[in-house]
Amino acid sequence: MTRIRPCGDDALRIEPADLHDRHDIALHLRACGNWPEVVTGRTTVTVQVDLARLGLDQARTLLNAQLAGVAPRATRATVPLVLPARFGGEAGPDLDDLAARTGMAAADIVRALCDSPLRVDLVGFTPGFAYLDGVDPALQAQRLATPRRRVAAGSIGLLTGQVGLYALAGPGGWPLVGRICRPLFDGAATPPFLLHTGQPVRLQAVDGP
Amino acid sequence: MSLQVLAAGPQTTVQGAPRIGLRHHGVPLGGPADPLSMALANRLVGRPPWASALEIALGPARLRFSAATRFALTGAQAKLRLDGRAVPWHRTLPASAGSVLEIGPCLAGARVYLALAATLAADVFMDSTSTYLPAGVGGHQGRALRAGDVLAWTGEDRTLPLLETPRQLRPPLARRWTLRVVPGPDWPAGATLAELAGLRVGARMDRMGLALAGGGLPEVAQAAARSSEALFPGAIQRTPDGQGFLLLADGQTTGGYPHLLQVVRADRHLAGQLRQGDDLRLLAVDQATAQAALAHKHALMAHWLPGLRLP
Repeated sequence: MTRIRPCGDDALRIEPADLHDRHDIALHLRACGNWPEVVTGRTTVTVQVDLARLGLDQARTLLNAQLAGVAPRATRATVPLVLPARFGGEAGPDLDDLAARTGMAAADIVRALCDSPLRVDLVGFTPGFAYLDGVDPALQAQRLATPRRRVAAGSIGLLTGQVGLYALAGPGGWPLVGRICRPLFDGAATPPFLLHTGQPVRLQAVDGP
Repeated sequence: MSLQVLAAGPQTTVQGAPRIGLRHHGVPLGGPADPLSMALANRLVGRPPWASALEIALGPARLRFSAATRFALTGAQAKLRLDGRAVPWHRTLPASAGSVLEIGPCLAGARVYLALAATLAADVFMDSTSTYLPAGVGGHQGRALRAGDVLAWTGEDRTLPLLETPRQLRPPLARRWTLRVVPGPDWPAGATLAELAGLRVGARMDRMGLALAGGGLPEVAQAAARSSEALFPGAIQRTPDGQGFLLLADGQTTGGYPHLLQVVRADRHLAGQLRQGDDLRLLAVDQATAQAALAHKHALMAHWLPGLRLP
């Protein structure tokens, strides 16, 4: 049973019974055009309400009607987006350290990552930062003791159970194993961010610069 | 024609429009930390509310106009001098070629806004010139201004009428604040909420948010196991050390700390003027009051800033 609760004075939070419905719900509500913001979280979808147009009670009625129109699983992409990436060295400065800590060979870590059926679970925290799940559970990694002041755009971070992709350069605390070879952000493109929630992804190791 | 930065102060940035509809890409609202004050500054120089302007945090700062123009200052209270002579805030002011503007340390409030009767050159990120420091985008090379920076402007208007912000529209400034709140999604069921007094703004005070000490924010069961969900400016989270963290314009789009309270939209612009050591009281209101407060503020502004919507 999907629940709707207020999230402050100008937002409503949808708690779907099945977490996998979040991405379909978010896409549908964004297409409806009534909500200034539609944000997917780990377990919920939250819409911001334009209080100048709609009271919170009216918004809830409208939201209930729109949720009835969500076609489950209709919009879910099944073909993974293949992202070529370079691993180790300057592109992935923490790969060797991870290998030393876990006793896995660097090449095996890369292979396990590229074999993992990744999916973007969340985009958030900072612009374009994508959290992907589906990582091979054999891969173990913890946050860096000291975050980097600047991580290159396209960097691939690894934590146990999660891959993080940095669309833009910025500070970051995840150990870095590689870097995607194509831009994850293109200001001239629509939409400018390549990844969105629900998108399946495969990493593909390439050689050279 | 340009504005030359002689002394930038701790954090002076170019700000423009808020970014709306991009939180699902992780892009925060951005724009002025105190949007009402920036809109009022731009109004005095005949510019739209979100025309690029300078947000000067804490001061002091010193700037030189390379050519004659008109400008206006709003926001925090500070000693303001043009070529050594005291000038008032909330008024359209004329600057001559070579004029030096001095903005003293902020006495009450945290951010002064300087708007020009001209178009300030700035980088654009996602349709807005607002500087977003963590990603180094927008504004002037994506960073806070430094002494020696030169900000070009074009199309200055030297024939503007000299205006003054009506007194009743000037946002109140103090070292003690009351902000209205409603419960957030993680407010513990059964805990009463009427008023939280005795909060104090801590040392962390930037465009992402403010640390709040004291006030006795209630503990939340299994706080560490909370999942990361959507957050908006005005959210007050309880961090693991028991302190509050109030999100401002550049606040993150998702987060996992318990979201206890939400500053109502009508009062969020005030949060951009809170500074270290300020005293804060949070007053609980119901949803109907929160909505009426916003409608009331929009109505109050309607004749001076038609169509303004507080972000």
